[in-house]
Amino acid sequence: MPIGYEDITILITGTLIAICCALTGSLLMLRRMALAGDAIAHAVLPGIVIAFLLSGSRSSPFMIAGAAAIGLFTTFSIEMLQKKARLQNDASIGLTFTFLFATGIILLSMLAGQVDLDQDCVLYGELAYVPLDVWITPSGTVMGPRALWVTAVLCLLLLALIIVARRPLLLTTFDPAYASAIGVSVPFYHYLLMGSVSVTTVVSFELVGAILVVALLIAPAATAYMLTDNFRMLLVLACLAGAVAVAAGYAMAATLDTSIAGSIATANGLLFMLAFIFSPQHGLLFRKKRKPVIH
Amino acid sequence: MDYAIEIHDLTVAFDRKPVLWNIDAHLPAGKLIGILGPNGAGKSTLIKTIMGLIPAGSGYVKIFGQPLKEVRKRVSYVPQRETIDWDFPVSVMDVALMGRYAHTGMFGKLRRADRDIALDALRKVGMEAFANRQIGRLSGGQQQRTFLARALAQRADLYLMDEPFAGVDAATEKAVITLLREMTTQGKTVLVVHHNLQSARQYFDHLLLLNTRLVACGPAPEVFTPDNLRDTYGGNLTLLTDVANLMHQEQHPVRENKLQQE
Repeated sequence: MPIGYEDITILITGTLIAICCALTGSLLMLRRMALAGDAIAHAVLPGIVIAFLLSGSRSSPFMIAGAAAIGLFTTFSIEMLQKKARLQNDASIGLTFTFLFATGIILLSMLAGQVDLDQDCVLYGELAYVPLDVWITPSGTVMGPRALWVTAVLCLLLLALIIVARRPLLLTTFDPAYASAIGVSVPFYHYLLMGSVSVTTVVSFELVGAILVVALLIAPAATAYMLTDNFRMLLVLACLAGAVAVAAGYAMAATLDTSIAGSIATANGLLFMLAFIFSPQHGLLFRKKRKPVIH
Repeated sequence: MDYAIEIHDLTVAFDRKPVLWNIDAHLPAGKLIGILGPNGAGKSTLIKTIMGLIPAGSGYVKIFGQPLKEVRKRVSYVPQRETIDWDFPVSVMDVALMGRYAHTGMFGKLRRADRDIALDALRKVGMEAFANRQIGRLSGGQQQRTFLARALAQRADLYLMDEPFAGVDAATEKAVITLLREMTTQGKTVLVVHHNLQSARQYFDHLLLLNTRLVACGPAPEVFTPDNLRDTYGGNLTLLTDVANLMHQEQHPVRENKLQQE
């Protein structure tokens, strides 16, 4: 099968999304908050629908802001339920996101006739539509696929954020008590990360769907976790794993003529299994050969 | 007299239940100070409140005569071992370098001098050979020494340590206490949450006995009395026998035990 212009735009957009998700997902995983990422990915649905109703267009800055706000609200609500209602962390997560997601579904089905927002598309995403939604400037210049621009900008922003704030992000994740002892605001970086996760999720939404964005958040991070003991390397490998999964998944979808998002998620799972079995440090095969810890 | 820490009428409560009640104490600079008390006495809470990690319900703390904000760089903290995620992808050197963040800031450049200071701190605790090892692949004692190195790398004047001897081997405990002694001779103040009555008397210059309220605070020989210990540990029978044993040992120095340990 020859690779055409459409394939390339889909692949680049998919890879950019995978990188955004891998970066934020790695930080979430290290904070033992991977499930909070899952929660946000679902909870932003009502935010998207409402923002869509108000603004009338998809992937507008308005929509991203609305979803980011609801993402932060989700984080806040999970913490509040834990503290004030004394619910366990997983129970608070389960309660919050199912409620918000369900609200989103109801809104979506009630307004199905009025809005150009397809339920299937929101839940499962459709990367194949990327080349069709073209960004045309008011002066009439055709800039290429809109999703490509949005994901590229997000990817650059996230990379800049992680490079500039790598030290406080690492410190507040690893040892929040020490971080606040030396004067770093732990809540600030917590909400900064949660905000980033929300924005990433919204942008990824229409491309890979609410459910499979979770795979992109967690799987590449988990794969990288199997392969390295170094923080910087973990981020690099997670991005790589995400990108490889996109390419492999896309090829698989083209060959089998099946769902792109589904294939990418499957490829992510397979990559993790490979790392889990063959990793030189933590893999099943080599684990026994590792030097024991000297006490 | 110079005070490292002044605690004024400090009360801390969780869910309206007081954990620390009306604590008023002055801790001298340049001393090795132990905080003793039963489980749930508020020992960790006291340290965390001094560090500003937990807000005070009422009262206040001054460090070197100033509010914490003004002297943050001069204060270092060694957390309890079980609060750390040991699978985290950081090496021993990464942890030691975090001690320099207080000086370089979160966005400043780490210079060669900072690396040298971190490496020097690792050398002092005997961990330089493990600099590149991931922290989960260390023994308990090595892990504790790594975090001590981070505190040393910060080059602070006041060190707050939460149970540094929990889950640590005897050799490390000895090495660490020697190092802490050395630090106090250089004028540093070290405040240690401790749970072992047996060793407390030998280790510390100054003791703070705590059980929600302050039972006693002063030079170790003055404070370490059966009455004070009974007040601190309440009617806990096993502990009371411990105390009785300790008093007994006091009359007959602990030579035998020491020999066995070595």
